[in-house]
Amino acid sequence: MAKSKMGLLQGTLDMLILKALSLGTLHGYGVGQRIAQISGDALKIEEGSLYPGLYRLEQRGWVQSEWDISDNNQRAKFYKLTRAGRKQLILEEQNWERLAGATMKALRAS
Amino acid sequence: MGAARGRDHEGTARELRVKTMSRVRAAINSIRARLHHDEIAREVETELRFHIEMRRCANIEGGMTPDEAQRAALQSFGDFNRVKSSCCEIRRSLPFNTGLLRMGLHITIAGLAGAAALWTVNTPHHNLPSLLSQLGFVAVLTCLFVVARRNKKLHRQ
Repeated sequence: MAKSKMGLLQGTLDMLILKALSLGTLHGYGVGQRIAQISGDALKIEEGSLYPGLYRLEQRGWVQSEWDISDNNQRAKFYKLTRAGRKQLILEEQNWERLAGATMKALRAS
Repeated sequence: MGAARGRDHEGTARELRVKTMSRVRAAINSIRARLHHDEIAREVETELRFHIEMRRCANIEGGMTPDEAQRAALQSFGDFNRVKSSCCEIRRSLPFNTGLLRMGLHITIAGLAGAAALWTVNTPHHNLPSLLSQLGFVAVLTCLFVVARRNKKLHRQ
């Protein structure tokens, strides 16, 4: 049976990018692949939207980028999480858990 | 307890240092992006094209024909030009709110205009050219202030 993909809630893309990069240095395409992999291919992300997200995170100092050569011998830009980014990810995970918990509690209320 | 507090202070100082360094790096990137506009646009384009190429190869490996693979890669990427211009825009923006900086500039210009006006009123004028030059100075500062205010209004719109 085909799995239906879910759209992302606003504000969650940045957190997912940080999470993907917490597992290692990746280029933009790799970030998308990693998100698909860790979400069990359940999230629907327009691939182009990853890049403004990555640039925003770099602007905030949470990720750092540098040009290098990819596995297929092409020039690619690789991103890695900074120390500030790692802290931000922890904060966002905590906020997300609180929000998800509160929403579930509200939905289960009878 | 004192040692724990000392460690807390050390941790906070380190966090502040990391945050400041990140901001400084982002500010340098943004200034570079403003100065080398074309280079940044080319860099962004190379990066986005790399993504589409990777997706195209994956699609071919998945069994699509090269044409189908290219079409599907472009479709799953979304609006290329919109993504490119958003990325360039983000690279050019400063990593902090420039409102305070602009406010400071307005206050400085207004202060200088006020001081120049006082100086004009309180200085005895022995000849017309010196009076005109002082009035000209005040007029230039006032114009600068008006232009700065107008820019701020346009920016808000």
